[in-house]
Amino acid sequence: MSYQTFDIQRSITRKQTVALTGLLLILFVIAHLAGNLFIYGGPETFNGYAEKLEHLGPFLKIAEWGLALLFFVHVERVTVLIVQNIRAKGGLKRYIVDNSKGPRSWATRLMPYSGTYLLLYLIWHLYDFTWSNHEGSRSIINGKSYGLYGVVVNSFKDPLHSWLYVLAMCFLGLHLAHGVQSFIQTFAFNDTHVTRGLKKFSRLFAVAMVIGYSSIPLYVLYVLKV
Amino acid sequence: MSKKINLTLKVWRQKNCQSQGGFETYQAADIDTDMSFLEMLDVVNERLTREDKDPIAFDHDCREGICGMCGAVVNGQAHGPMKETTLCQLHMRHFKDGQTLVIEPFRAKAFAVIKDLSVDRSAFDRIIQAGGFISIKTGQAPDAHAIAVAKDKAEWAMDAAQCIGCGACVAACPNASAMLFVSAKIDHLNTLPQGSAELKARTLNMVKQMDQEGFGNCSNEYECEAACPKTISVKHIAKMNKMHRQSNLR
Repeated sequence: MSYQTFDIQRSITRKQTVALTGLLLILFVIAHLAGNLFIYGGPETFNGYAEKLEHLGPFLKIAEWGLALLFFVHVERVTVLIVQNIRAKGGLKRYIVDNSKGPRSWATRLMPYSGTYLLLYLIWHLYDFTWSNHEGSRSIINGKSYGLYGVVVNSFKDPLHSWLYVLAMCFLGLHLAHGVQSFIQTFAFNDTHVTRGLKKFSRLFAVAMVIGYSSIPLYVLYVLKV
Repeated sequence: MSKKINLTLKVWRQKNCQSQGGFETYQAADIDTDMSFLEMLDVVNERLTREDKDPIAFDHDCREGICGMCGAVVNGQAHGPMKETTLCQLHMRHFKDGQTLVIEPFRAKAFAVIKDLSVDRSAFDRIIQAGGFISIKTGQAPDAHAIAVAKDKAEWAMDAAQCIGCGACVAACPNASAMLFVSAKIDHLNTLPQGSAELKARTLNMVKQMDQEGFGNCSNEYECEAACPKTISVKHIAKMNKMHRQSNLR
């Protein structure tokens, strides 16, 4: 019988592309958190870490463009899948009674919305921290410039700024709670024994990320004295 | 002891796949709780016929839960509220007197409505055809022992082979994906030594046909597994994902 290999248009291949880019983005999420936690070490430690990153030069550029590409592929492939899914079920409205028999969770239902919020937040976050002037008026605490550390602390002293960040991290948590277990199923690391632990692990990881990230603005807002 | 209940049915009525359908309300009076759901529809249809009205069209055949012919969505759930049950094996004792039941066909772009609750599931047949043949002669019943099959593999294959192809997985999937059906059909052959010779062609061609029929994509929500009257596990989907990746790259 004839068959065609390396067909990237197949639904399963498309899903696995989403899962793989998702995994790489999760690695970024972990690494980014690890870097952010340097803020607890004070201005020298945090700015020192930021400078080390800057000194990577071309490697940093490659990493940045790589990340942008990952985000693009992840979003583009998912968009194709969503459009196909809407078409497959014959439009947005299907059954008049919405009554699921299975384990469909809110994290799963909200995947496209949590993803969209995260993407919009990400663009603002880049504009806010990465591309902003790290030596300007926003970096000054008590008349002295503290560089990126100052920018972060001044930003998070504003409750709205902090809580928008925490909200984004809650959406990240929802996205990861489904995403991690979905990755494992799609790549079949569970093909012989699916465990309940899988979903539990996915949720625990998501909660850990939410707590890790959210601790920073909340620490600056409520604990840190300047 | 059986008793009698009265129900209000809101049933999807549609002349054919071209026409626009809509809900009609019927009273199902004096329904014996020992009846199956399909027998209840039979009673309603007899009354409709006596009143010179068009009876409700619905799919059915064996009525003992093994053929995969029947199926409808009752109050938003494929094959109704009970787990591991086909519509013909769903009994009226699970409903309350005075309850309103909304009955809709299995909805998916790949399953065109033929009439009312009856849908065209020939897309499933074409997926099976795309899987092709098995070239190894399996012989007569005594020859079954000629090739040793490990117990766990035999169990796994038999679990997948339970699929009756009713389409409840597609109806229940929020994306109208047929991954559970296709994975069961692929896996019950791929797992056994007699079927593994065509593993690659079978996997790639059946998945390709599934996509061409216009089914949606799996988003790992596991609604299919919950709706499946034969409790086919989503583990088979994971296995198909793996076999497809391996077949696609080699």
